[in-house]
Amino acid sequence: MSELRVENLSKSYGTTKAIDGVNLTVSPSEFLVVMGPSGCGKTTLLLTILGVLRADEGHVYINGKDIDALPISERNIGYTPQDFGLFPHLSTYDNVAFGLRTRGFGRSEVYAGVKAMLSLVGLEGFEGRKPNELSGGQKQRVALARALAIQPSLLLLDEPLSNIDEVTKAEVRKNLKETIKKTGVTTLCVMHDPGDSFELGDRIAVMYSGKIIQCGTLHDLLKKPVNELVSNLIAPVHRFDLI
Amino acid sequence: MDKYDIIILALASCFILFMLASLFYLYVAVGNSWNLVVNALFNSRIVGALWISVSAAFIVGALAIVVSIPTAYVLTYSKFRGKSLMETLLIEFPQTFPPATVGLVYLFMLGPGSPINIAYTYPAVIIAKFYVSAPFALGLTLRRFREIHRMGLDVIAESLGGKTKHVLLWVLIPLSTVDLLGGFSLTWARAMGEVAATLIFAGAFPWKTEIFPAVVYLASQSDPPLALAASLIAAALSIIALMLFRWIVGGRR
Repeated sequence: MSELRVENLSKSYGTTKAIDGVNLTVSPSEFLVVMGPSGCGKTTLLLTILGVLRADEGHVYINGKDIDALPISERNIGYTPQDFGLFPHLSTYDNVAFGLRTRGFGRSEVYAGVKAMLSLVGLEGFEGRKPNELSGGQKQRVALARALAIQPSLLLLDEPLSNIDEVTKAEVRKNLKETIKKTGVTTLCVMHDPGDSFELGDRIAVMYSGKIIQCGTLHDLLKKPVNELVSNLIAPVHRFDLI
Repeated sequence: MDKYDIIILALASCFILFMLASLFYLYVAVGNSWNLVVNALFNSRIVGALWISVSAAFIVGALAIVVSIPTAYVLTYSKFRGKSLMETLLIEFPQTFPPATVGLVYLFMLGPGSPINIAYTYPAVIIAKFYVSAPFALGLTLRRFREIHRMGLDVIAESLGGKTKHVLLWVLIPLSTVDLLGGFSLTWARAMGEVAATLIFAGAFPWKTEIFPAVVYLASQSDPPLALAASLIAAALSIIALMLFRWIVGGRR
């Protein structure tokens, strides 16, 4: 189990600060949700931790080790983007096997690894299906299985529920949470929906204009919002009486 | 059908008629004397030129794909000053640079008097056709690699531990098969039709560097019906080859 620490991370696009001095710690096995409106810098934060974007300032540590200089392929971070990013030319089996094969595992080890992951996400029997033959929820589970197959130090999820229809969302959300809890992987997830964020996150970091305004449990945010902005963002949770 | 439908149909019909007229005329003109086609098929000089054109076009198409993949990879992932100029020089410029000038440059650069003299040889045919035709393959490959990059599939592959070889061999190339085949097809077609650069750099030595358009030109001076018959053979061959490429590409789409 690994700890993620983000220290004073900043990233600008021209004169616009996408993330501005972000400090965060995700404890081992914790599920932290970074919640905020569209354009607040959530995805930039995720891509900077992943290594796609280079931070202007600040550092990212996993288990105390600065990973800034490491290429993406050596960070051992599992990542599922908003559209799940499944390889369209590969079957479910080959998608999940991808990371095991890049690591040089033999055929039998790959087989065992893929079977275990598909069993974990409840997709046994779907091995031969291509992404275009899967529903949104199934695609998400394949993407999750693929990211978890490499036994990552950290899992990054970008809006995992945004491409799921409302009818199946509650079930997908429940499965997602259970699967991740079973593996105990440290998870950083970015979302815009307060209801989903509070259902999934052990803690929630509220982000706005590139800054983390408040970070805490649902109880902390509801009882002691630091300002009106946080109150407004979590208002839907009050309104629908989710607690 | 309103007036816009009629205008659209009329304009499309004009274009289609214009494009097909020459081919139709060729068929009709030869139609009364099919023995000329047989004569052309048994004319060793015509068959030799056809073989040089077709084989050179295949070699050029294959080479273009082989070099387009790494070049498109470099242009997709590297950042350097003058990248836009480099792309113009590699893709658009060779398509607009007069082929006769290309042939002339190669004749001076790799001809008599230079340390490497390959003028008037089969490799000269390949080089002249390659410069003019390969940009088609590179343009298509680069466009597709950039599209995959925008989709973020390469980043996913890297996050799963993929190195350059995995990203290239397991993601970029398999997802670009249609474009690579399309690039090969376009390159082949352009190489088949290329004349000026090849004539100047490689000359037109029968059974050695004489390409099909050259032999048709020469035959048109001495025996025009035979030249027409030979043209019909070349047209049929090109249509069959292009339809075959189209079928292969369609099957993979």
